[in-house]
Amino acid sequence: MLKTQTPSRPDALTWVFLGLGLLLLPLGLYLALAAPPDVNQGYLVRIMYLHVPTAWVGYLAFFVTFLYSLLYLFRQDPRHDRVALASAEIGLVFMGLALVTGMLWARPTWGVYWTWEPRLTTTAILFAVYLGYFLLRGAIEDPELRRKAAAAVGVLGFLNVPISYMSVKWWRSLHQTQSIDLTTGRIHMDPAMLQALLFNLLVFTLLYLGFTRFRAMVAALEEAKEEA
Amino acid sequence: MRRVWLLALRDLRLEVRDRAGVLSVLAFFGVMLFVMALALGPEEAPLRRAAPGVLWVALAFMSTLLATRAFALEVEENTLDDLLLTPGGKEWVYLGKLLFQLLLLLPLSALALLLSAGLFYLPLARAPALLLTLALGVLGYASVATFYAGLLARLRGREVLLPLLLFSLVVPVVLASVRATVGLAEGLPLEEVAPWWQLLLVFDLVYITASALLFPLVLEG
Repeated sequence: MLKTQTPSRPDALTWVFLGLGLLLLPLGLYLALAAPPDVNQGYLVRIMYLHVPTAWVGYLAFFVTFLYSLLYLFRQDPRHDRVALASAEIGLVFMGLALVTGMLWARPTWGVYWTWEPRLTTTAILFAVYLGYFLLRGAIEDPELRRKAAAAVGVLGFLNVPISYMSVKWWRSLHQTQSIDLTTGRIHMDPAMLQALLFNLLVFTLLYLGFTRFRAMVAALEEAKEEA
Repeated sequence: MRRVWLLALRDLRLEVRDRAGVLSVLAFFGVMLFVMALALGPEEAPLRRAAPGVLWVALAFMSTLLATRAFALEVEENTLDDLLLTPGGKEWVYLGKLLFQLLLLLPLSALALLLSAGLFYLPLARAPALLLTLALGVLGYASVATFYAGLLARLRGREVLLPLLLFSLVVPVVLASVRATVGLAEGLPLEEVAPWWQLLLVFDLVYITASALLFPLVLEG
């Protein structure tokens, strides 16, 4: 779904993803604002409708980077590398958004913007890993070595994602545990809130797909220019 | 298997003959501990509290310094390509370099443990458990460090890039090692320290397997 040919403008599927995502974004926002407030957190809970989807897109994007990095290492097809690059970039942006929204939520709830508890620490590390990914890309001039080195970071760096995801359970920390637990399939949430959250997750995933396809196309154009 | 040993022993012999590298790393470690001890004050309590953290941060810096040496000679003498020309799989190059790093790092880190025990009141009563933590932590660290050193071997500016890439990836290892060391220093029962060892072991296995598998793909075309 993410692989693009080398066209000079975005294809129909990219526009569909982007258009649908942008159209549904206000609706998701409305649902988030219309959802009932939380028993304990009150209206503050609304940050969750942004925080969880952005974090989800971050994890998803890094997973896609991992997958396409592996593919690149085995197949040596530059197209795979471009998708990995695009996905890592989008993932970094969304992970940054997740960190920011998390901080905005933490200030009124915990009293501080940042605290060194496991979930926050592992997420910050994850952020640093993918920052390193781009620094590495920028530092290597030989395109083939750059792709390979970046792919290696994309694969090894992903090992931190499950750790980051599970850290809330392993260390029983300050951070909320998952409301939708992917490991056991249990859901701890009111149906009205769940609906809004799931809708927002869908919207952000659509946006992610659109952005990544778009970025991969731009990367292809860049590469064509570099070679010319 | 024989190749792994041969490569490791050859590198070790070169490194020991050279001496300058190992000695400068050890001196660096000593200076770092002195500065930390000065900064954290002469009282015993803060030093004792800081000991595990200081030990692992210093160890991390030390192994980064050593990691650049894993492939430095090969690149200087243009022998890396010769190594890669040998028939068969290329995993053994990684494993040999890793073994070399371990043979170098383990005695050094045992020395480092003694140094920090002397300067920071780190209790050595449970030396076997501490040594196990040390071995697991150093193994995890060296596995990633060796991989990246190989990856960046031919690159200019690798000395700057290596720590940057490395530190972000090995933070889980350092985290788990520090927690285990803190537990041991505070005298927690072994059952409470064991989960950290398990975590370290999982890291080590995953990193070594992944690195050994990726290494040939990354080094050749």
